[in-house]
Amino acid sequence: MPKVISNGDELDVDLTQPEIKQIKDLLERDPTITEWGMFDVMHSEHCSYKSSRPKLKLFEDAEKNYDYVLAGPGQDAGVIDIGDGFALAFRIESHNHPSAIEPYHGAATGIGGIIRDILCMGVRPIALLDPLRFGPLKGNPHSQWLFKYVVKGIADYGNCTGIPTIGGEVEFDKSFESNCLVNVACIGLGTIEDFEHAPSKAYNPGDYVILMGGSTGRDGIHGVTFASRTLTEMSEADRPAVQIGDPFTKKLIIEATIEAVKTGYVRGLKDLGGGGLSCALSELTGDGGTGGDIDMSKIFTREPGMNSFEIMLSESQERMAFIVKPEGLETVLEVFRKFEMAHAVIGRTDDSKVLKVKDGNSLVVNLPATALSDAPTIPREEKRPEYLDKLIAQQTPEPKKDLEEIMYDLIASENICSKEWVYRQYDHEVGVRSVVKCGDGDSGVLRIIGTNKFLAASVGINSKHCYLNPYEGTKGGLVEICGNVIANGAKPMAMVNCCNFGNPEIPESFWYFSHAVKGMADFCTQLRIPIIGGNVSFYNEDEVNKTAIKPTPVIMIVGIIEGKENVITLPFKKTEHDILLLGETKAELGGSEYHSVIYDLEGGTPPHVDEKKIKANWNFLFELYNNNLVKANHDVNKGGLIITIAEMCFKNNLGVDLDFNECYDDNLRDDEFLFSESVGRFIIETQPKDYNKIMEIAKNLKVNVKKIGFLIANPEIHIKGLKGKDVKLDVNKMKKLYEVTIPNLMEI
Amino acid sequence: MTIKIAVIQFPGSNCDLDTLYVLNNVISNGIEAELIWHNHFKEAQFDGVVLPGGFSFGDYLRSGIIAAHSPALDEARIMLKGGKPIIGICNGFQILAEAQFLPGALLRNDSLKFICKWVNIKVENNKTAFTSKMNIGDVLAIPIAHGEGRYYTDKLKELEENNQIVFRYSTENGELTEQANPNGSLESIAGVCNLEQNCLGLMPHPERASEPILSPKQTMHGRLFFESMVEFIKRRVS
Repeated sequence: MPKVISNGDELDVDLTQPEIKQIKDLLERDPTITEWGMFDVMHSEHCSYKSSRPKLKLFEDAEKNYDYVLAGPGQDAGVIDIGDGFALAFRIESHNHPSAIEPYHGAATGIGGIIRDILCMGVRPIALLDPLRFGPLKGNPHSQWLFKYVVKGIADYGNCTGIPTIGGEVEFDKSFESNCLVNVACIGLGTIEDFEHAPSKAYNPGDYVILMGGSTGRDGIHGVTFASRTLTEMSEADRPAVQIGDPFTKKLIIEATIEAVKTGYVRGLKDLGGGGLSCALSELTGDGGTGGDIDMSKIFTREPGMNSFEIMLSESQERMAFIVKPEGLETVLEVFRKFEMAHAVIGRTDDSKVLKVKDGNSLVVNLPATALSDAPTIPREEKRPEYLDKLIAQQTPEPKKDLEEIMYDLIASENICSKEWVYRQYDHEVGVRSVVKCGDGDSGVLRIIGTNKFLAASVGINSKHCYLNPYEGTKGGLVEICGNVIANGAKPMAMVNCCNFGNPEIPESFWYFSHAVKGMADFCTQLRIPIIGGNVSFYNEDEVNKTAIKPTPVIMIVGIIEGKENVITLPFKKTEHDILLLGETKAELGGSEYHSVIYDLEGGTPPHVDEKKIKANWNFLFELYNNNLVKANHDVNKGGLIITIAEMCFKNNLGVDLDFNECYDDNLRDDEFLFSESVGRFIIETQPKDYNKIMEIAKNLKVNVKKIGFLIANPEIHIKGLKGKDVKLDVNKMKKLYEVTIPNLMEI
Repeated sequence: MTIKIAVIQFPGSNCDLDTLYVLNNVISNGIEAELIWHNHFKEAQFDGVVLPGGFSFGDYLRSGIIAAHSPALDEARIMLKGGKPIIGICNGFQILAEAQFLPGALLRNDSLKFICKWVNIKVENNKTAFTSKMNIGDVLAIPIAHGEGRYYTDKLKELEENNQIVFRYSTENGELTEQANPNGSLESIAGVCNLEQNCLGLMPHPERASEPILSPKQTMHGRLFFESMVEFIKRRVS
């Protein structure tokens, strides 16, 4: 690590030698030690996206190309106009490194951070979703410890702030053993006016700069640079770089901020997250084309004797920076007083385009406002890993077990089993908006009070598919997550992503990132889904074992359902109703749960995405919804067809009689057909009287939909029409296996 | 007549807006509910009061303990003596127990975890200010969401004799089983009232169970609490 020296102070920085030279050239002097610290943080991968930015240019310009997108990438959160005068903001972010070291506070402050991102768009946070990844739980106390405390951290923080956690995803895989992934997403709702009141920039000279919320302490100093390195055995020593959260203060910040924005006197708003004051002040002034004059002595600190370096780089939680119109200063301060929130006027904006921070008489920061945010990009090499061909060529062995036994094994597997143990700990009802209960749908569904609209949100990705083919795997993830909101009746409106990858300096790791991004860009452009935000987390790599995580480009989709009658749920409803299978099943077992649970295989051919067919399937579903023809819907996901059908049987304790004769394909083995994870498929419950009408619509739209059976009262799954012998499964036994896996591993 | 209800806002209340919404937009029925910041509350201006759910003062120490010392509770005490109705929901119940408006205490759930789920509760007393629209033995579908909801008292016999046990967790059919008791509460107790029956505390959330669209079985049992309160206030005034 290079060392920089200023006035006798020394500092180890993560900057490269060319970056150090560039900074000195720009300033035409040696920076102060505080300035060095600020450059170090702002030029870190986490803040500057220096490796990822060149690739992210592949995304189309959402704000320009979609009229309902109000804010796109680069802002604290993406924002869309959903009609009726309402705006939805959402974003997803990673908090992987802190959570791997200190799961409880790491996860909690992740929630805290994402709430602030939404809040600083001027809207009220109304939902949280958390995709999580750990090593397998079985026989692994470390993974159990991480899992337990990450969930508790999310629960304690989210529950206290009164924001329901309405969805999420958990994946267990060896590659996440030492680098667990904790991604956090938040959705905010407000009026278009609220959003317009809170741009993340200080564009008017002469406004007041107010710091509100928690005090500035020594916690979290250099949290960001810590997140831009790989974890090592020394990382335990980084524990002081993990911040401590305070959800009670956060709740007050939410209320005080919303009330302040409603006064109309706020002209800019920014949360203090990674990079602390350095980041917030330089982005506010830099993006607004102004400068600022900040008096450091006004900043309230948690302990005496903090120097300017510590104050500017502290990542203490629960702080917001407000840019306030001079005539409204007293009104805004009165709001903060009412909520008994600590606050201080720390300076004013000016037209100098220079950010100045004074510590008594000395000028500790004196930088062009844009200098910090104009980090250079670094071109990275990419190379397809050599091991891939061999992995993809892996063949599915001949099954040694009965199909029945395999299905019981699958339903009980960690990745497929019920995640009730997790969501019971989250308050998913607060807010009186939650319309579809956890477990009853593929996505979380909230009503938007004052309209006849509902929002549906889902997050996730299949990292095993991405590991074999990041391009197709990422597209498959989009199909799946869009499929989740569509299954509940929603039209996908916009996407945000959270890219979790290994070390970008390693060409193989960067290749994965590059191809995942291309997959997103291609799919979203074709299917007309705007990408309105993203987050990149690199360095999820274990230096001790030299292993990177499986590539995990987590997708989040928010969709809108028009009208209560169009809210569709997952559980099967009524005996004698038809069961239809929409979409094609191919021999795509690469990265499947079947391969991993039954044969401990990671390879094979992963699913391929055909955008035209996906589009037709979606249109078909919307046509059915328009005609009120769907009684239940669930997208086919991990474990394949039968697992999907079993999940739909559980709630109302129904059974099914299946005959796959119509799906007969000479080229498919029974296990390939039953356990394939081909994407874009749905299991739909419909009424027998509507069958002809549905087939007519299918014919017109040229989609592949087949009746595969009907619902029966007896809780059993009967499967006929296979090449091998008929199969009979006990729904109650499956349900029991589905429910007990995680409690049995965690409640000891 | 207009019925003025105060929804007390402690700094960490988080079901305050939900309760306000339900009172004003779902029940309405002459109700004019208002959010009142806890140390601005003046009892004389109101006919009834709701202490909503949440984490009053962060509840890092013990749920409700700090809120129990808020000036709002001094006002509420006067109100109670005057016979006006007070309901504490979830954190509100914890506060009322800490302030000794109600007997007993709410301990950590026996699972040591926060639990959010729909449960059933059985009506044991329909003479209180909040249960007159219910029948004894009725089973209500209603959600819970708490980490510290295990009811405990060392005066069980007294409570039983005085008919202060208002709700017990039960199965859908009204049976009291261990499985139907979500948090290990003593004798499955979900809600209790004071001797005068004008103060009720319960862990489940009626405001989350007041609209069919939010309920798994399209019920709206939560409304009965607020409708009973309206009836009680109307009767009291006339």
